[in-house]
Amino acid sequence: MTDSPSEAEVMESGEGTEGVSASDVSALAEELGALVGATAWSDNFGVIRLEVERDNWVAAAAKLRGRGLELFSWLSAIDWSREVEVGEQVESPDDLDERFEVLCRLSSVKNADAVHLVAVVPKDDAQLPSLVGEFAGAEWHEREAAEMFGIDFPGNPAVDKHLYLPDAFEGNPLLKSFPLLSREVKPWPGTVDVEDMPTTENVEAAQDASGETDGGDE
Amino acid sequence: MNFWLELLIKVGLALAIMLPVALVVIFGELKISAHMQSRVGPYFAGGRWGWAQPLADGLKFMQKEDLVPADADDRVYKLAPYIVLMGTLALYVVIPIGPDAVARDLDLGVFYVLAVSSLSTLGVLMAGWSSANKYSLIGGLRAAAQLIAYELPLVLAVIAVAVQAGSLSLNDIVNAQASFHLFGVESILGRDVTWISSLISPFMILQIVGLVIFLVASLAELSRIPFDMPIAESELTMGYLTEYSGLRFTMFFLGEYAGLVSMAAIAATLFMGGYSFPGVSEDVLNFLGPVILLSKVMFIAFVFIWLRWTFPRLREDQLQTIAWKWLIPAGLINIVATAIFKVAF
Amino acid sequence: MTQIDPRSAMHLADAAVSVELETPDMTLNIGPQHPSTHGVLRLVAQVDGERVMSVDPVIGYMHRGYEKLAEVRTYAQTIALVNRIDWVSGFANEVPFVAAIEKLMDIEVPPRAQYIRLILTEMARISTHLVFASSYPLELGASTPLMHAMREREHVLELLESVTGGRFHPNFNRVGGIKPAAGGGSSMKKVSMDLPAGFLAATDEAMTRVLDIVDDVDRLATGNELIQARTVGVGVLPAAKALEYGVTGPNLRASGVKYDLRKVESILPYDDFEFEIPIGNNGDCFDRYVVRLEEIRQSASIIRQAIAKIPSGPLRAKVPRVLKVPKGEVYVRAENPKGEMGYYIVSEGGRIPYRVKIRSASFSNLSMLPWILAGQLVPDLVAILGSLDFVLGDVDR
Repeated sequence: MTDSPSEAEVMESGEGTEGVSASDVSALAEELGALVGATAWSDNFGVIRLEVERDNWVAAAAKLRGRGLELFSWLSAIDWSREVEVGEQVESPDDLDERFEVLCRLSSVKNADAVHLVAVVPKDDAQLPSLVGEFAGAEWHEREAAEMFGIDFPGNPAVDKHLYLPDAFEGNPLLKSFPLLSREVKPWPGTVDVEDMPTTENVEAAQDASGETDGGDE
Repeated sequence: MNFWLELLIKVGLALAIMLPVALVVIFGELKISAHMQSRVGPYFAGGRWGWAQPLADGLKFMQKEDLVPADADDRVYKLAPYIVLMGTLALYVVIPIGPDAVARDLDLGVFYVLAVSSLSTLGVLMAGWSSANKYSLIGGLRAAAQLIAYELPLVLAVIAVAVQAGSLSLNDIVNAQASFHLFGVESILGRDVTWISSLISPFMILQIVGLVIFLVASLAELSRIPFDMPIAESELTMGYLTEYSGLRFTMFFLGEYAGLVSMAAIAATLFMGGYSFPGVSEDVLNFLGPVILLSKVMFIAFVFIWLRWTFPRLREDQLQTIAWKWLIPAGLINIVATAIFKVAF
Repeated sequence: MTQIDPRSAMHLADAAVSVELETPDMTLNIGPQHPSTHGVLRLVAQVDGERVMSVDPVIGYMHRGYEKLAEVRTYAQTIALVNRIDWVSGFANEVPFVAAIEKLMDIEVPPRAQYIRLILTEMARISTHLVFASSYPLELGASTPLMHAMREREHVLELLESVTGGRFHPNFNRVGGIKPAAGGGSSMKKVSMDLPAGFLAATDEAMTRVLDIVDDVDRLATGNELIQARTVGVGVLPAAKALEYGVTGPNLRASGVKYDLRKVESILPYDDFEFEIPIGNNGDCFDRYVVRLEEIRQSASIIRQAIAKIPSGPLRAKVPRVLKVPKGEVYVRAENPKGEMGYYIVSEGGRIPYRVKIRSASFSNLSMLPWILAGQLVPDLVAILGSLDFVLGDVDR
């Protein structure tokens, strides 16, 4: 499907490795990043993250599939409305614009190799080519991302149809700008625990604390 | 007038005996299935063993609202349960429970049985059609397809019995079994061996193929597992019964078990000697006959229940395959073999 | 979207004989209340007689918005949510979630806590698969295995309850270990709740009963000709298609792919034990059924080995009173009874996650329904749905 040297590597890495150590991960990130022409790659907490251009999105997924990452695990998005991306050093305030990150996780079924393919999608032009042609399973995941974030996936046959939400629902619930109505009406009682209110019960609780916030038990 | 009065009494008696039997079979199914599944089953209604559970169920159903779907074909919808129940109850009229105890001893008893037993499927089809529910419709059509496929092996199995007995009257068939001697041999080396042949005289020995065909086909006619596709609750949510409630559902329910009893009674009559029993003289049979027949009916009903709680359900095409590729050829061969046997001995 | 109006046939009967009968496809609405959709799945099927021409699954009746809710709750509070995703195996959902937080915070979980997590996860797997072993024959019409397998599942659940306090929603994992003792009495120091006395012996005995019941189900159902006639060769899922749709778990393994996260990349000490990964050859309904039955046996064997090897020691690592998770993003996945269960957690630092993506197995497993159900018969549709063993909470999250 793609260039042949990587095909050969699939075979080699496919046989032996069971559980990849940390050094392997960064080597793999490097190799795969070069393979798909990623603009940036990292291996935070063992998660290989390959950032690709939008135009390169489908081709990169196809190349990774050819490389042996055949299992389409999931696809979703992050709404970055805050300032700083994870692990990124901010160089200038100009690149703090709001944006979506669409992530697609592909993994191998022969070993622990797995990749998060990432495309940055600007909010004013929220669209990304659909992966349905490459992975049929992407249809539902893209529909979910579409209704939750308002990202369009041209090429997905049913992207306009709501997957989870009622047909008449308006808005994109997972956007940071979408208020959780129940929270607007009544503040979450669990915050009391988090805020560490200085009542006598709380002080006692803090004294025999074994170190956890157990507000979510009920 | 005399004739009608007598008939009325006889029919009433037949129903009075056979309908409680259906209730007993319902209770038996509840209890037997419970024991097969490590459960207790009904326990409270009526005290000991929960014997009154079928009655309690019936009472409960009667209190339920009688719902008719808005789009239903009203008259057909309401008529269907009566037809189902009538089709099964009408069978009781010709089943002899003793040498003289039969509501109506028709010369064409077997013919009547086969004809009337198909009636209830008409009711099922009506129910499925008129409910204005797609599951009901599919269920009704499945029932119709099933009837066409399994009526044939049923008839073929019965034809072989009729050939063997040389009569179409159920009473004659019972008599033929009671007096039948295997290969016509009555004595070997001067010793009377009729007692041996009388033990194996019921047609269930000679007509074992016919018996199996008959039981399989009647399971299908009754829409019981493994042939319960018309009501398959995991596919069709009870099929043609989906929309029924209250008293009309009770009628279907009762009709199902009354049909089971009548089919079992016919099988017992045709293949297991009916009310007769080897060594029991005819004078006693008028009193003992019903008991003997009922115990045979209960045995067959037990087999039906046993199968019901053991097997999964077949698929529609597999059901057709069994009927057309296995049962019908086997039934035809059985008729030929019976005819040859009949001529040779 | 043509529908048959039963009355229209009255006119057909009056029509001339030469009229060609039109037989349009019928739209059959299966669910959301239907016995074989296991909850509130709805399938809008176009059927031509008994044959299903196309299926359009409608999900979302159970959508609770956990991904949104997680963004306004603390990490510890979210644990209570995640065990409601796949409620049949609640415990197995918690473990990867706390493991993800532990990975972000770089917390080493004490071995005894790891072992307890492992034992309870495998018990959750057994109870889930026993539900399958009992409900799948029922789907095909055989109701007897249900009663037997459910009875033994109840024993497993009782044991789970004796440890965690909950049959379905244990909420037992804490970051760094397991739950502290309930109440705690007047003692100043809260101690982690250890296993109740006699639990290990009782579990070992329960495994005997579980293995017995699996054999019973085998005898009752697996060898039955009718079960085989209904399942062998039905709903074949080729491995390539399965991967494309992201199908994981027993459904993928039945298609012949030996992929089990317990072996590949495990957050629990599965490497300490010997166990097999059962796989199927054909990927049909029968293989999916047999693979699950065999997994019960393997899980029972894992639990027994774990009971023999369980170390003593603390049940909880030292964790700060208020969880402040450093910046970072992490994905931790685990082999849930239904397949790959994963949590992608993006932390901006602080007590509340920035984004939690829940990768649930049943969602991906069901996404192939339109493909696998097209062209099947209605009874096979039921057989296939049952063999995929999904939970709607796991689909809708």
